[in-house]
Amino acid sequence: MYSVAQTPDSTFYLNNVVVTGTRTPKLLKDSPIPTRLITSADIEKVDATNVEDLLQQEMPGVEFSYAMNQKKHMNLSGFGGQGILFLVDGERLAGETMDDVDFTRLNMANVERIEIVKGAVSALYGSNAGGGVINIITKDGTEPWTLHLNGRLARHNERRLGGAYGVNGRHLKNMLNVNHTSTDNFSVHNAENPATQVVSTIYGDRTWNIKDRLVFMPTNKLKLIGRVGYFYRELTRTADTPERYRDFNAGLRGLWNITPSDNLELSYSFDQYDKSDYHKIPHIDVRDYSNVQNTFRGLYHHHDKNSGDILTVGADFMHDYLMNKNLGSQYESQNSFDAFAQYDWLINTRWELVGALRYDYFSDSESARFTPKLSARYSLPITVNAQPSTLNLRFGYGMGFRSPALKEKYYNFDMEGIWIIRGNPDLKSELSHNFNVSADYTKGHYNFTIAAYYNDVQNKLATGVPHYLPGDDKQLYLDYANLAKYSIYGGDATVQARWSNGISARLSYAYTNERFPKDKEGHTINNQYIPARKHSLTARIDWDKQFTSNYGLLLSLNGRFLSAVKNVEFIDYYDISKGTSTIHYPAYTLWKFSATQRIGKAFRVTAALDNLFNYKPKYHYFNSPLTDGINLMVGLSVDIEKL
Amino acid sequence: MRSPYLLTAFTLLMSTLSACHGVLDDIYDEPKGNVDMKQGRLYMDASSWLDWYYLDFNTINKNFAEGGTSSMFVRYAIPTEEAPDQNAQPSTLSPQPGLYTYWYDVFGAGLSNHDFRGFTPTAAQPEPDVWHIAVHRNNVRTNGGAAYETTYTSIADLPESSEAFKDATFTPDEWNELDVWTLREQMLQGIISNQGIEVNPVLSSWLKVDIPPVPPVFTLNNHVFIVKFEDDTYAAIQLENYQSPSGTKCCLTINYKYPY
Repeated sequence: MYSVAQTPDSTFYLNNVVVTGTRTPKLLKDSPIPTRLITSADIEKVDATNVEDLLQQEMPGVEFSYAMNQKKHMNLSGFGGQGILFLVDGERLAGETMDDVDFTRLNMANVERIEIVKGAVSALYGSNAGGGVINIITKDGTEPWTLHLNGRLARHNERRLGGAYGVNGRHLKNMLNVNHTSTDNFSVHNAENPATQVVSTIYGDRTWNIKDRLVFMPTNKLKLIGRVGYFYRELTRTADTPERYRDFNAGLRGLWNITPSDNLELSYSFDQYDKSDYHKIPHIDVRDYSNVQNTFRGLYHHHDKNSGDILTVGADFMHDYLMNKNLGSQYESQNSFDAFAQYDWLINTRWELVGALRYDYFSDSESARFTPKLSARYSLPITVNAQPSTLNLRFGYGMGFRSPALKEKYYNFDMEGIWIIRGNPDLKSELSHNFNVSADYTKGHYNFTIAAYYNDVQNKLATGVPHYLPGDDKQLYLDYANLAKYSIYGGDATVQARWSNGISARLSYAYTNERFPKDKEGHTINNQYIPARKHSLTARIDWDKQFTSNYGLLLSLNGRFLSAVKNVEFIDYYDISKGTSTIHYPAYTLWKFSATQRIGKAFRVTAALDNLFNYKPKYHYFNSPLTDGINLMVGLSVDIEKL
Repeated sequence: MRSPYLLTAFTLLMSTLSACHGVLDDIYDEPKGNVDMKQGRLYMDASSWLDWYYLDFNTINKNFAEGGTSSMFVRYAIPTEEAPDQNAQPSTLSPQPGLYTYWYDVFGAGLSNHDFRGFTPTAAQPEPDVWHIAVHRNNVRTNGGAAYETTYTSIADLPESSEAFKDATFTPDEWNELDVWTLREQMLQGIISNQGIEVNPVLSSWLKVDIPPVPPVFTLNNHVFIVKFEDDTYAAIQLENYQSPSGTKCCLTINYKYPY
């Protein structure tokens, strides 16, 4: 794992296979759809527990902040919530809070790689993928058996314990993962006179995540995959009434290689995400939310071995059921259907085009839409000092389509006496146009990537302007609405280097320009989320050396910088006639240093200093880092089969 | 070897196909129905920020004796309209009724760090002719009485009569303009208008509210309190629960013994 790679392409993982953009395996360097790849080695260097730790450190333009009531929200290049689709092994996740999935479900144990496709450029994903897709792909065992155990301790009584047991036979494979995390609540100090809302307590939680995946290969043409999982999380805001979150999931997938050129995939996925409150005094656990998704998929690929072209056709059917005490009727459900066709045309050694057409239908709003997608790659061979290298240029366009969620149509929620958030049954679907262009170039020890994008969103779905009903000037209402035209543009640039002395480095910068959305009359809306920061930067430098066959050392320094950002907010949420003011949220930078010692073949001991420079925010605003100072983390992992 | 796995997979598929509305409903509970009121046990929804609920133990005992269980409490709204004929400034020598507006450092040092921001004179708090105690959320007043906190956690374990506590130090009601939170229109800014009124600090400690964190932490004190009234009668009272069956806070289940 730590040996220095021999070719520039393999050094920067360009020969790694990615699948998310087209659903057909393609080398990262050849994929016409720009894909950001985070490998298991990157995850280990960051020592990430969950997807939040990882993405914030690995990708500029990603920020996790709080929404109302300290619910986590992710912003990826100006999109978040219902605009970003999270997948685990290609399957979507049920449940949301303030529009975001439960990020604590996405722990980084046993993750093989993460593929990120920004924008609505892929035809394989419809509603909820207007801003991009983040696909977490888990490891498949390759050894006859493996048993990996790991643990980490840190401040605030933070514990991370995990185990993965895999068996791998000729016809059967099984991988069982059990992971547990816990962190205490802790208080943070704020100076007097904050400009807007601050938090005084950062809530820890306790999670259990258990997954089992069984792969059965009766012949070399047929592969059946069954999986089952359980997730539990408990968070205590009120001592006598802890909040509980549970997820039950299962799935079956069949892969049939009909001929060397044709294969068929059929799958069924079940995911149920529940929220409940446990009342300690009467000992009752009362559920107030449940989202159940049953999804069926069919996918067919034909690979023309002569031309290299690939035809992909597929369809999904999903039954989406929502129970929420804050829905007018408590229960709502809808069916959605989509079908798509994608043609990957390898024109010649330089040009490759992927064109696709997708159709979506949603039963509740009876809305339907065709959305086209087009991506192109042009590879230009360049020879410098007799050394061949390649400049890849990519262009893409994707139309995104999002039908209103059941919550956005039927919600009715009294928010802390401020206003009643109301669904709007008359909402139209959101439509977006995404354009992107990028270039990457690898030479010797260096790799350069630059990208730019523009998103134009029509009828954006969000909460609008607070208002009173005629004849009632006491109760405020905040209705979901279709907003005015809205655009986001930006870009990013990355330079990576890896030298033969074991040192590697990466510097990434992202620019995001997210225009404040307004309603169709031009009024300032109540933006539930703080906008993206315009400038952000991540940096990493590693030194990896294997001193003897039994001892190696990896030193890693990671940092991120996020610029200041402004947001327009109501001066007094209880009296909106006072108007709005612009709140300035400060910039910050955070750094982490970690040292991992490899002892023998089986042991790894990691010590890390998070928040290395002991940064303590003066005010813990909703987008401040969740820290109260430097944090020492100590971890140990053992590969039992290697003892 | 293959059969058990195939059987498991088939069973899994069949069980989930029928699960359009989810599985494992049984692990959850339904909110229990109304709390039963009986002699010695009361249930009071005191969650309103704008009302005091007055309670007369003699009326309650008579009501139970006659088989009744409802209308045991009398609700009186907290005056919030400005009374222009009153002084517009609060007096420290003779506290006057009104709304005392304070800023609380809810996101910093907590409720102990506060700052006076204004006063609105109002009419005095109306009350019935006969009453023993009054409840507003986590606040309790007595009608000229005084309270003592025992270490007992069950009324059944108390000594036979209140004579056992005759030498205890009972605390009377005290002026308070910080705790009876009444108007919360500016709560997100940490500003709350409180009713200025006498409250019993010992009895009110049966339900403690701490900030930070936000939302507040409620802590129940299940000790039995002895209350001595003006007519030299005694009551033993205990807070058993502060939540309704559906989880609403400040819905109080109260155990009592009167006369004690």
